[in-house]
Parts: sequence; structure tokens; C-alpha cells
Amino acid sequence: MPILPLWFLIFSQVASQPDNAIDFQRDIQPIFQKNCLSCHGSKARGGLRLDQARLILSGGESGLALVPGKPDASLLLRKLSSKDPAERMPPEGQPLPTSDIAKIKSWIASGAKIPTAGSQETWWAFKPLSRPLVPQLAEKNPIDSFVRQKLREKGWELSAPASKAALLRRVTFDLTGLPPSVDELNHFLQDQTSGAYEKVVDRLLASPAYGERWARLWLDLVHYADTHGYDKDKLRNNAWPYRDHLIKALNADMPFDRFAREQIAGDILYPSDPGAIEALGMLAAGPWDFIGHAEVPETKIDGKVARHLDRDDMVGTVMTTFLGLTVQCAQCHNHKFDPISQEEYYQLQSVFAAIDRADRRYFSDPAIAKQDAELQAQASALKATIKEIDARRVKSIDTEIRTIKTKIESLEKSGRSPALEFGWHSPIESKPDTVHWVQIDLGKPTPFTKIILDPCWDDIGGIGAGFGFPTRWKIESSNNKEFNNSNKLFDQSTDFPNPGITPVVCMAQGNARYLRLTIDKLTPRQNDFIAAIAEMRVEDASGANIALNKPATASGSIEGPPRWAIANLTDGIHHKGGPASPKDLATLKSTLGALEQQVLSPAYRQARQAAIAKLEANQALQSKLPKASVVYCGTVYQGEGAFTGTGGKPRPINLLRRGNIMQPGKSVEPGALSILSHAPADFHLAPNQPEGDRRAALANWITHPDNPLFWRVMANRVWRWHMGRGLVETPSDFGKQGQNCTHPELLDHLALLLRDNSGSLKALHRHILTCATYRQTSDSNPERAAVDADNTLYWRANRQKLDSEQLRDTMLLLAGKLDRTMYGPGFMDFVIEKPEHSPHYQYHLHDPEDPKSHRRTVYRFVVRSQQQPFLTCLDCADASMLVDRRNESITPQQALALLNNRFALVMAKHFGDRLAKSGAPAGSIVRKSMLEALGRPATEEEVGLLSDLLTREGAPALARLLFNLNEFTYLD
Amino acid sequence: MLDRRHWLWRAGGGLGGIALAAMLDREGRAAGTSTKPPGPMFEPKAKRVVQFFMAGAASHIDLFDYKPELEKRHGQPSDFGEKVETFQDGLGPWLKPVWKFRPYGASGKLLSEPVASLGRVVDKMAFIHNMTGKTGVHSQATYLQATGFQNPGFPGMGAWVSYGLGSLNDNLPTFVVLPDHRGYPSNGPKNWDSAFLPANHQGVVLRLHQEQPLDNLFPDPAAGFKPGNEKANRDLLLQLDRKHAASRNGDSRLEARLRAYELAASLQATAPEALDWRRETKEVLRLYGLDHGKTTFDKEINNLEEIDAMGRKCLVARRLLERGVRFVQIWSGCDNGFPRRNWDSHEDIIRDHGPLATGMAHGIAAFLQDLERTGLLDDTLVLWTTEFGRMPSSQGGKGRDHNPHCFTNWMAGGGIKGGVTIGPSDEFGFKPADRKGTPVYDVHATVLHQLGIDHTALTVRHNGADRRLTDVHGHVLEDLIA
Repeated sequence: MPILPLWFLIFSQVASQPDNAIDFQRDIQPIFQKNCLSCHGSKARGGLRLDQARLILSGGESGLALVPGKPDASLLLRKLSSKDPAERMPPEGQPLPTSDIAKIKSWIASGAKIPTAGSQETWWAFKPLSRPLVPQLAEKNPIDSFVRQKLREKGWELSAPASKAALLRRVTFDLTGLPPSVDELNHFLQDQTSGAYEKVVDRLLASPAYGERWARLWLDLVHYADTHGYDKDKLRNNAWPYRDHLIKALNADMPFDRFAREQIAGDILYPSDPGAIEALGMLAAGPWDFIGHAEVPETKIDGKVARHLDRDDMVGTVMTTFLGLTVQCAQCHNHKFDPISQEEYYQLQSVFAAIDRADRRYFSDPAIAKQDAELQAQASALKATIKEIDARRVKSIDTEIRTIKTKIESLEKSGRSPALEFGWHSPIESKPDTVHWVQIDLGKPTPFTKIILDPCWDDIGGIGAGFGFPTRWKIESSNNKEFNNSNKLFDQSTDFPNPGITPVVCMAQGNARYLRLTIDKLTPRQNDFIAAIAEMRVEDASGANIALNKPATASGSIEGPPRWAIANLTDGIHHKGGPASPKDLATLKSTLGALEQQVLSPAYRQARQAAIAKLEANQALQSKLPKASVVYCGTVYQGEGAFTGTGGKPRPINLLRRGNIMQPGKSVEPGALSILSHAPADFHLAPNQPEGDRRAALANWITHPDNPLFWRVMANRVWRWHMGRGLVETPSDFGKQGQNCTHPELLDHLALLLRDNSGSLKALHRHILTCATYRQTSDSNPERAAVDADNTLYWRANRQKLDSEQLRDTMLLLAGKLDRTMYGPGFMDFVIEKPEHSPHYQYHLHDPEDPKSHRRTVYRFVVRSQQQPFLTCLDCADASMLVDRRNESITPQQALALLNNRFALVMAKHFGDRLAKSGAPAGSIVRKSMLEALGRPATEEEVGLLSDLLTREGAPALARLLFNLNEFTYLD
Repeated sequence: MLDRRHWLWRAGGGLGGIALAAMLDREGRAAGTSTKPPGPMFEPKAKRVVQFFMAGAASHIDLFDYKPELEKRHGQPSDFGEKVETFQDGLGPWLKPVWKFRPYGASGKLLSEPVASLGRVVDKMAFIHNMTGKTGVHSQATYLQATGFQNPGFPGMGAWVSYGLGSLNDNLPTFVVLPDHRGYPSNGPKNWDSAFLPANHQGVVLRLHQEQPLDNLFPDPAAGFKPGNEKANRDLLLQLDRKHAASRNGDSRLEARLRAYELAASLQATAPEALDWRRETKEVLRLYGLDHGKTTFDKEINNLEEIDAMGRKCLVARRLLERGVRFVQIWSGCDNGFPRRNWDSHEDIIRDHGPLATGMAHGIAAFLQDLERTGLLDDTLVLWTTEFGRMPSSQGGKGRDHNPHCFTNWMAGGGIKGGVTIGPSDEFGFKPADRKGTPVYDVHATVLHQLGIDHTALTVRHNGADRRLTDVHGHVLEDLIA
């Protein structure tokens, strides 16, 4: 990306300009503003923008708008001064005054200089991190100093601390997604030591539940699911190791920059760490169009579109998650608000040009991984040796050997075809008795003596020889196309066994123009029924095939030329080889043996044998290794069929005009963005460097210690997840369309703290959670609410709503059913029906009593297209979108779900039964239930009201009521 | 007032995923779910929308867009005059329309045999024969028609309308979806998702073939939980919630959630009656073909079952519209598996399209007549669509491959001119005659326009972009407007 350095060069010249020269801001910008920006501002008509420095220079769809120093070569000037009203700009109204045009001309002639002031680089989020001065307010925690300084401007102070019970409930849900136990509550209430709260924070950060809770938030960001999405929303049975990796990495407090690097290029940067392979699940977490990839090849337009969208998703996921940049907006044109060019967007696509979403093998034991890698390396070295030796084979003899080998192979596997052979293929039917026919028009009534049906050969379903050969059929002749009047010549009315590739002769004499083969019974394939024939030959008395190249029609045909077509039925192409003769075989084999001796010199022959022996030993060792683990991730893939992958060779990436795959522009190399100046956007990669270097370069560029966005965006996310409101309230958009930062110094304080504590997220959590701002009461105050209803100044704590996972996990916990088993494949809370096409995920058929489904919600098998209805109703994340903030809706459907949904009722029943089991008096059951469900003692009034309910309707009704209380859902 | 509305549009956009409800609450204007949305920007012609969606891609050539040229060339090798890529490479000979066409109504519009029932109302309908898509992949094409985008993650049209106009009632959902009785179409519920709009704008699914069409309306009997005095229990819940809220001033969400429980109770009281189509008179049931008296149907796809299924959905739709439901989406056909139970007739148009079209036309003809009878047609816009069309050539047999280049939509009611046809396709129905065609954005823009919404102004900021139903495209189809 040479634009930025060049630009800097231009800036540096600005300073030395004489005063009488044309000044962009004074002389040019007002002209553009008045005449051009209504179309060439954020609307970017024709891709051209004249409102931002860099974008003026990058031009539009018609090319560069201007060439600095060359006004006559500048399209802009030509358009402005054109005499042709159809060409002239602006398109409506009078042409620009000649004085204005002269100014623009002279501005271009003097180099089209634009000063930095007012340009995009001044946007706060793109500026380097700066260490703020902490206000001197004698606060223990600098956060409180920053917050109080702002509050003081209004003459306010922080609110009073929250009650101990409310604080414990708040911080426990916050860090673990679960409520505190009654014991934990009592212990904390009784602990009057000064560090009691800090001890709680440390205990919670050390709890494995911390990783489970915070991994779920990360999964929202990267739109993780266990199925592909789209039509044919098939299962990803190996996606979960990525989710487990997140939990483990967070619990181990992996430095955040490493956490990020692993997810982009872990395989390259940490090759000995199996977790770094699992981390690549991020690149594959989003949706994938099975049909567009696995059924449509890359050579087709729809296949290209699918792969373009696939890379777009990878680019979007990485850049939005780590940098809070909406680069995807630059897919069709330069970004309308942020200084990101379309070319830069495609540079980022180029980073991911070699990878696909697929399963990847790896070993969790590093020692075995090492052994495996060594064995793989040895095997490929041996294969290379063999290849090298083979290169020395005498070419002429080698050709002869190949010919003989082919013959031997085809003879040995009598009935086995030397090549696939196709012909006509009926439509695919669900029942064998669907009737299909083919017929041949001989042109005029012609005598014939027999009809020969040649079978097909196709690999599908391992059927091979005789693929789809009819089970029952009849042959009729007629002189009438519609067969109104016909003669039956042959009837195979019993099931005919698969003939292999042996031609099937039907003796049928006659004299007619049309011959029709009617298939009365189709042949099973896998789950369906078909018929297929390579050739239908009609012989006359001389043995000549009179049907050759005659028109054929059918009741149906899956026209897929060249393989399958009705025209193939009479094209003369079919298997012609006869059965093997033992004598021929013996002769061929002895010739082969003699030739093999001559093709290599004795020394090479020995070396080759030795290498083969070693390779066999290597393979034996490989087979003894434990089974490899598998993770679905962003990886180099090489496969068969339509989904071939790249094998590691990056796909060529072109800038796409209007984002249209049919309009490729210039070719683009991998690179990053020039808006950030911490490191060069150009990766300077040689064309032959392995693809992983591209991802590694991007990973290092993103996680650079001086990349301001990387640290700011994460610090803001953590703050927002704790406080319920971000310093930037658009956590995934730090561009100009995002919201401003309410406390820029505080944000940089947090960002630097994260960076300088070795990227420790736990240190950041501890720092935030122990500040007085976090520990305030959530009670409101009418005067302050009138001024700052959104609590942008943090004058109180925000009352947070439990999300769908916190609710479900808490209901399971109270029911006494929560299974705390960690890790492994996700549990399925649905029944799969009709998996052959797009599986139907039937949630209503699942029984919530199934103990397998009683694990924490983070371990749920997430279906992308058909979301879990109960959790969706409660605003769980939608894995089709990058979710930085959960929706917080309040709907009657939510009320109905919490009241009447089967899961909610079953858990209420178990909670109630568990409470009632003690046989204690109603009052003490009510007290216990409130303490467990709400984390506070019941009032006497509540004890009275709820005891009545308990007596009237039983403990499950009490539990159901508790699940539905506002107090259950909202944390003070 | 107008200024204020404009402010609201902008503010609604600027806050993105935050519920409009919460924003208005802060102004003390409204509480919770009864919050007033921005409302129309100019005098609307329609208040309600019904969208029919034929999943799997209905053949324009065999239903609505008659092509005599195909009769002439039937059986000859097809030649499109250009390189053509189709989904299954099915470029067999030209295939003439599989049914006879006859003229109907004063407009003399030609309709084929299975959709002949629509002849009764054809003068109310306005056809667009040059709809054009972007892809021949069902999933992406279905998203495009349903949400205006080819990939998942965008709100359905009904969600946008709900977001823009809000509810016309206090006790029923705003956006209702009636899926095919056999299951969901390609993409399932993502077609009617609220995506980045607040969740209350999501389509609410009613499964009319189930005993309990609306999920969670009453305690799930399978839970083995014995409900008691539901009213007393609800009153107790609200009593405790009120006390809780009273000590927490200034948090309108608590009040809103209380109100949601009251609305839920109101839904319980009204929904069963609204969905009980059996209450209709004999004449109405006969009109919709629901007087057949049968409770079971043949295993094979058949006309009677299709008439019954579509008739139920149409009749329930009318009952919902009467009760103030804003947007009803009715699907015909489920996903693309075997045996065919949708419009994806690669093998045999007559076999699948026959019964599906017969049922669809019977139900919709009755529906349009009924809307007219009840006076609802004037301000109810009806849109018929599908994800793409089918090729004028066969695949060697009796079926047709996908044709994303050209297909048909039609509209009726809600200020739409009846008896007109715009945007001809070429002589084969292969591509638009002008090779440009009408994109889905124009249809979406027209629907919003009839509702009094400028499609370029109904926007929501999401991940840095001001998103709208019509992306950056869309022109109102003025020729269709009465």
C-alpha cells in the first residue's frame, strides 16, 4: 500500500508553500462542498468521494479522478469543463464558474496537495495510545479518579456502595454466569475483614466457571455455531474443540495478544502447541454455504460467489472482533465513513485466500504431535526419494510398462472397468415402481435381430460396475412415436441381477421405426431408486448397430453432460473389453517382469526397494500412534469433487468492482490498513512465501503493542461486559459511524493496563471489579436521571438483566440438575429428523428431563439456522451475526416462555420438589427458596404470601413464580 | 410532529440494537411494549401486508407467464444465444408450458389450468413478469427475497414493517408466519428473523396443523406440571413485582416487563379465538374449500390436502388481519428434500406444481374474494413471490432447472392497480425482455411505499452501516400503483 507514505511526502511539502498558492481548505474544499458532495460525499456516486483526502486521490469506478501535477490528464477537470451537458459535472444546473475551474486546475497543477488538518487521521480511535495523567483525587483505584473527575464537572459524586448481598450476586453472575450459593453468601456477609471482597473476586477469577462464562461472550463475537447455516444446515461435529480452547485459555489467563494471534495464525506462530490449532476455529466459526461450496465448483459463478462470501466473513470476523472496524463496508466501494479503501479490503481477503473451513487433524499430546510430525516428514522425504529415483527410469520402457500394467489390471479385475462409463440416467425416485422409459427413433421402419444393453460404471456409493442397471424391463417396438400401437418384443419380468459390465443381450426380432425400453422396476442406489444404461445397441442381421447416433428420448433424464445425457444412449461409447484369459495374463506378467529389470539400474533398484521398505515401516509406526484429534477450523484444505480447496496455494484475489464477482479489477496482494500507523500495512511478502505467512503477518500487525485499536477495543469490551455500558457504546465499531468515547483517558488507562500487564485479562477484571464505580448501588436518583438517564457518567451501577444462558444455567442449578462436567462435544437439546437434506432440528421433541442436556448452556450444540426457541426468545446470540451486545427485549412471548415452556416447567418442578423434600414447614421452605433464588432473605410479608401459594398449589408453583419474578431476572 | 418523527427515525437508527421501547421510556412517553413506533411518513395506501412465498422456486412459465414460442419450439434443442450456467446443468430441449392457458377477467390475463381459480380475482392482480435475482442457490435466493440480502443476519420484511409501523392491536403479535404444514423452507426461521432489530419484531410462527399453534401459550402438558389457579398466581407475581419496582424508581424496564406479563395474559385470552377458523360460517368454509369433512389425507401429494392446507392459512390470515395483525407471511412448500414437497420441480413439473398450484390458487382466490367482501382488500397489500423461476428448457424429462434470471411476482389490494402486467420477459421466459428486469429491491420499496414509508429512510445503524430493507437500491414501481 504505497498510498500513505506518498501522502506523507505530500504533507511534508505543504509546510513550505508560499501563501499565495492555492490552499485546499481555503480554495478547493468549499467548491467541492457546494457543488459535488451531495453525490460524491458519503453517497460515493460512481465510487468517487471528494470529501476525504485519501479518497479523492484513489478515484472512482472510472479510474483516477486526478493526476497530481497534470491537470490535462485529470478526469475531474475534463468533466467539470466539458461542453457536453451529458458528460459535464455537476449533471444538473449551471457549469462551475470559470474562476472555480481555474482554481482547481492550478491546485492540480501544483500537485493537488491536501493538508492533514481535518483529515481522517485525527479521528480519536486511530491515534496512538497515550498514557493519561491520573487526576489527583486520592482514589486507591485510578478508575475512580477518572470517573469522579467527570462527575465533579456536574457537581456529583459516586453513589453509595451496593449492599454486600447485592454486590456478591452481581459479581458472581458477572464472572461465572451463576448465582452465589447460600454458603458463599453467608461467608461473605460474615467476613468483616478489609479484603473480603477482593478475596471473593480472586476466588471467582480462579473458578473454572469464569472461563465458561467469558468464553460464551467471546463465542457471541465470532458467531460460533456447531452447524453450517444456510440451506443444508449440516452438523459440524468437530467445532467444539475451539469452544473448549477458549475456556481453557481464559481460565489460564493466556495473554490477550497471544490469545488473538493464535486465533488468526496459531498453526504458524505456535506450531508445537495443539491449542493454537484449536484456536483457528475462530476463522471457521461463522456460516458456510454447503451447497455453494460442496455442490457447486469454484469454476461456476455461484461457486465463486460462495467463496467470496466465505472470505468476506473471515475478514469481517477478524477485523470487527479485534479492531472494531467495519471493513466489510469497503467491499463494493471505498468505506463511506472511515478511511478504508476498497483495495485494502481486498488485501485483507488476500490474507485468507488459501484457506477454507474444514476439519483439521492435530494431537493434544505435544510429544505425540512431534512424533507424528517427524513421521509425516520422514514419509514425505521417502516419497520424494522414490519420486527422484523414478525420475531416472528409462522413459521409453516406462511407457511400455504402464501400458502393460493397465492391461493387467483391467484383466485381473474381470468385471472391473478400466474407466468410468456413463450414459443415460433416469430421474432419482423415492420408490422403485416409478416407471421410466427411453426410446430410439431409427428414422424409418428398419429390420433388427437383437437389442444389446451396455451397463454403466460409476463410483457413486461404491456400486461401480453395472451402476443403475435396470432390475426389470420390457422392450417394445412401434411405428408410432406415442406407442399407441406397439409390439412387446422382450419382457424381463423377474428381477435381473447386476450384470457387471457384461453387455446384456435381449433377443428381439422385428421391423419398426421406434424401439422403447420401459423400466418397470428401478434399481436401488442409497436411499433412492434409479436406472442407468451406457448404450442401447440395436443390431441388424449383419451385426451392425443401426441405433448408433440415432435420436433418443426419455420419460426423464438427469441431464448432466458430459457424464449423463440421453444423447449418450446412442453415442457408441461403452465398455468393449471382453473377459480375461489366464494365458494372456501370464504372458503380460512375464513381459512386465523383464521390463522392470531394465527400467532402472541395479543400484537404483536397490535404493528404491530400501526406500519402500522404510516407508512401509513408517506407515506401521504411524498406525500405532493414538488417533488424531480433529477441529473444524480455518485451514488449508485439499479435497475431491466440487469442494477441492487450494492445497495451500492462495486463490488469486482481485478487487471486485461494485463487489461483483463478474467484474474483477486489479489483482491485489495481502496487506493491512494504512489508517493505523503502528506498523507498515504492506507485508512485503514474496509471491512464493507459504500462505501461513500472510496470516502470521496480519496477526502480528493486529496484535502489535502499539496498535491502539487492538488494546482499546478489548479494554472497552471487558469494561462493557462488567459495567453494562461501554465507554464506547458501539463496541465493534470504533470508526466514525460508531459512538464517541465518554471517557477517553479512562479507556487508554485500561488499554495500557491490559497491554502492560502482559495482556492479562484477569488483571484487568480485578482492576475494574475492585473499583468503587463498579461497587456502587444500582438505585437511581431522579435529579441525576433527568440529566444523564443513560448513566454515561457512571453515577450509579447499571441494573443488568440476566442473559439467556445465565437464566437457563440458574434454573438448572436451582432444580438441582446442573451437571458441571466441562468440555467435549456439545449436548443436543433437539431431535434430528430428515438429516439427508437440511436436517430438521426438532426442539419440541426433546425431553428436558434428559440428563445429557443438563450441562451449562455454553456446552449446547448450537444450530445456526434453527435457533433454540426458548433461548432465542430470551435474546440469546444469533450465530448468523457478529454479536457485540445482546438484544435486551421485553416481550409477552418471553413471559409466556418463562411461564409455560416445557424446560422452565420441568425445572420449576424439580426446584419445588427439592425444596419440599425436607418436609420443613411452609415458612422455612419459602425462606430457603428466596435465599437460593434471589440471594437475599425473604421479608415477613413475602413469607406470608408465598406460604399461602405453597400451601394452595405446592412447591413447584412457588418455584415457577420465583423464576418469573423481575427480581430473578434483574441484578441490582 | 413531522420533525419529531424525523428525529425519531434518526435516533432509532443511531442507537442500533437498543430497543426503541427503552429509548422512548427514557423520555417518559410510553412504557414497555405498547411503545409507539415512528409510524408512516406520508399518507399510506395500505396498513397491512400478506406475503405469499412459494418455497423451492415456482415456474413462472407454467403458471402465469404464457410463452407461445415454447409451444412452437417444443422438443427442439434449446439455444439461449449465450453461454448459460444452470444449477444442475439441465439444459435439455425447449419444454412448452405443461398446462393449457386460458384468458380470464376483463383484463383477459392468461392463466394456466391449476391456477384457474385465480381467474375470479385476476382483475385485482398486478403482475411483474421480469423479476430478476442474483443466484440460483435456493438458500441465498430465499434470503434475498425474504430479507433483501443474500446472506443470513438481516431482518425479514415483516420485521422491518413491524419496526417501522408497530402494532395495530394490543393482544396479538405484529408479524405472524404461517409455514408449510410439512415444515420450514430453506433457511427456516432465519427468513423471518428480527436480526439486529429488537426481538419483538421477529415473525411469530403459528403451526395451524398442531393442537397448540402458538408455542408456550399455555403450560406445556408434556412437562407434567399441574397448573393451578393461573389468574391468582399471576396476580401474586404482579403484586410482588410491583413492590419490587416501587423501590427501584427510574427503571422503566421493570414496569415494561410487568406489562409484558399482562399482555401475555391478554394473548392467552384472545389468540385461541382468533385462530379458531372453524367458527366461520358454512359459506365461508366452503369458499376456502374447508368443508370437505376429511381429517386424514392420502400419503401422496394431492389436491385436496393442498387446498385444505392453504385454505386454513388464508382463512386464519384473514382473521388475524381483522384483529390487527400487521404482516402475515404464508409459505407454500418446505425444504428441498425428496419426495418433493415444494416447488423445486427438477424432475416433473406436473407431479409437484400440479397439486401445490391447485391448492395455492384455490386458497388465494378465496382469500382475495373474502378480503374484498370484508372490506380489508382496500388497505391490505398482497404480494406473491418465490425465490426464482424455472428454465424454459427441460432437464431432458418433465422437469425444469433453476432460472435466477427471470420469474414472476404479483401484487393485489392496498392501492395496487388491478388487471395490469408490467415488465415482460423475453419470448422464452428465460430473461427479462429488456435484459435488466425488476430486482427484489423495487418490490420491497413499493411495499414500504404503499405503507407510507420511504424505503431509503427506514434505517438502523448496525456494525457501522445504516442498514435498510433495500440495501442501497430500490425504486418504487409507480406503474403498479392505482
